[in-house]
Amino acid sequence: MAHITINQYLQQVYDAIDNHDGSFCAELLSFKHPHVANPRLQLASPEEKCQQLLEPPYDEMVAAHLRCTYAVSNHDFVEAYKFQTALPVMFSVTLDLRIFANSAEQQLQKKGKGQPGEMLEKAAEQLMSCFRVCASDNRAGIEDSKKWGMMFLSNQLFKIYFKINKLHLCKPLIRAIDSSNLKNDYSPAQKVTYKYYVGRKAMFDSDFKPAEEFLSYAFHHCHGSSQKNKRMILIYLLPVKMLLGHMPTHQLLRKYDLMQFADVTKSVSEGNLLLLNEALSKHETFFIRCGIFLILEKLKIITYRNLFKKVYLLLRTHQLPLDAFLVSLKMMQLDDVDIDEVQCILANLIYMGHIKGYISHQHQKLVVSKQNPFPPLSSVS
Amino acid sequence: MNRRRAPRRISLSQRRDAPAGGEWRQRKEERWRGQGKAQAREVEEDESCEQHGKEAVPRGTCQTMCPARELQDREVQNRLHRFEMLAGTERVRRPRGDPLRAVKEYTRPAAGKDSTNPTDLRPPAVLLKTVCYLIDDIAASPHLHPWTEVYSFVFDRLRGVKQDMIIQRVSGLNCMAILERTVRFLIYASYRLCGEPLWLYDPRINDTHLQESLSWLLDCYATETGPHPNQEEFQALGLLYNLGSARATQHIMELSGRLRTSPAITLALSINRAFLERNPVRMLRLARRLNFIQGCALHRHLVTCRRDLLLIYSHGYCSRNCRFPLDRLAQLLSLDTSLAAQLCQAYGVDVNQGNQLVFSKAAFTEPGKGKLHCKMYHNIVAEKQRELSVGNIIHGCV
Repeated sequence: MAHITINQYLQQVYDAIDNHDGSFCAELLSFKHPHVANPRLQLASPEEKCQQLLEPPYDEMVAAHLRCTYAVSNHDFVEAYKFQTALPVMFSVTLDLRIFANSAEQQLQKKGKGQPGEMLEKAAEQLMSCFRVCASDNRAGIEDSKKWGMMFLSNQLFKIYFKINKLHLCKPLIRAIDSSNLKNDYSPAQKVTYKYYVGRKAMFDSDFKPAEEFLSYAFHHCHGSSQKNKRMILIYLLPVKMLLGHMPTHQLLRKYDLMQFADVTKSVSEGNLLLLNEALSKHETFFIRCGIFLILEKLKIITYRNLFKKVYLLLRTHQLPLDAFLVSLKMMQLDDVDIDEVQCILANLIYMGHIKGYISHQHQKLVVSKQNPFPPLSSVS
Repeated sequence: MNRRRAPRRISLSQRRDAPAGGEWRQRKEERWRGQGKAQAREVEEDESCEQHGKEAVPRGTCQTMCPARELQDREVQNRLHRFEMLAGTERVRRPRGDPLRAVKEYTRPAAGKDSTNPTDLRPPAVLLKTVCYLIDDIAASPHLHPWTEVYSFVFDRLRGVKQDMIIQRVSGLNCMAILERTVRFLIYASYRLCGEPLWLYDPRINDTHLQESLSWLLDCYATETGPHPNQEEFQALGLLYNLGSARATQHIMELSGRLRTSPAITLALSINRAFLERNPVRMLRLARRLNFIQGCALHRHLVTCRRDLLLIYSHGYCSRNCRFPLDRLAQLLSLDTSLAAQLCQAYGVDVNQGNQLVFSKAAFTEPGKGKLHCKMYHNIVAEKQRELSVGNIIHGCV
């Protein structure tokens, strides 16, 4: 493969097309295949040769691919991505397109040129047109339908949208897949990836119950051997579960090398605001990089609730002096909190349904319900 | 791609032990990353070659704020703004234009229209001078009234400046200096013109342009080599203006540690956190520490903040015998007592004879459209303005 001539290569492509051998053809157009290392195939202007031996549209496609190999051999990823569009062929090409766009991004960033995200956005536009073609394919029968490409393309697009931080663009894709009758018939791997991204989107929109559903599905159906993928899913599943009141075990955290969550978990369940703040700042970089820092901050409200519940359990009365809560916060080294803020925090917990009761300003007391004043977290949305 | 360089051959050793599939690609990329400087230089050489070959970026030559041709045209067509007329000629049938006061208009790009003629484009230095004129002689002028008209004029002419910048692909110090002033102007305007009738001032149009300019400015900070002395100020303004936005917050979290711990950004982050946690008492307390322009950026969120307070208190203090002193609430809301009472009434919160509030979650209602005037409750920002001049506010020398 590394020594064949351009004519021999084109002949192989022609044969593959003629025999409807989609997967071999895809290989011949993929950058994962060793033929791309062959300098004889790295041509700056292969169009004539391709036109001689192949029919349109294949001549164009292959010519583009060969120009691509030329560009890549010259480390010019910007040029390469410009030359990148049968489903396995499309899969392979679009995957490479996204990867090239990534490299082109990095290359541009190094030179300090261009708007960040520009290359990826352009790649996304191209993928989106592929998606529209697939989604509107009503002609062929189910086996040949281009609709099978929809989930793959969505997943590629999700990756880009998350990278360039334009999550709102995921919505039309989700809607299209949801309304498709094929949605449960895609391959397990594609479904796992899909649910992972939809789960993350739901998290971002603060829809925690659906987020838990999607991410749990992805985690349980993810192949046991891909530890790395399971860990990635867990990074997003854990905060959601914690917000719903389910703390992970140390075992689980150790198994997937996610001990950064250990202190967070401990502090939330103990109502220890001090430890929570320390844990969040200690692993700040990691949490920010994963994009979960902001979600974890939401755990503060849960932590307040747990702390105040402790105060209630300690005092064993239904009429709790506000001062007691103030003292508990001062013990957590929150020195700039005063009694007004305590009332505000309590009022918010009551509003959110975490505490059943009311505040009496005249008596400076929190009066809680005699029955279940701190409802379980999972019952409060 | 007509490069004179010989195409790079892959070395023999690499070809011989070329592993299958993805590994090959990874190794190649690693090797590429390691080549660093020699690589960068070669690519730069190519760039300069390319520029001579490709179409050049338009470079303006117009040294006046308004191109001569446009001034003449508008004079003939009687389309001069009254701020651009030669003194003494305003009332005649065809006023004369003052070349020292005329400023190039914004015009929508249209098919067939050539907007790249160098004599119509102003170079970056002239653009900056134009912006300074617009601020010092128009926006900050004590003689021009009403300010809604001043705003319209400056807004349009700033758009023209931005257009010239885009066509000439301006970047660097001039670009940032212009954008910084534009953003401050639009933020100030959003506060000053708050509550004006829609046909005189549209907050949504102001917002669109503010976000665009801010976004461009933040991109400049990210891609251009520093130092950027005003970056702290504008990152903080961006967050305050877009308070509560996940995107804006995440953007701040991804800044360097040094920036994130700077005073302005730390304060903005704390206010943002208090807002997201629904702690309006804390938020309003922290807001008192903001300076004037920061207050302007934040002010539209104060409405939500105050509403949140009344909402959660309506739930938290909801009991038949509850009485909450109006004075205390006024203090928390940073309002005087009568304004606080008015606000409560707008939200359905009952104020009884003894100036005590009766909170009830059933009684709380969102005020009808147009019933709540944000402007009435501006004092928390207004009192920060003190002796500051408009010019100083927009230039940023406070």
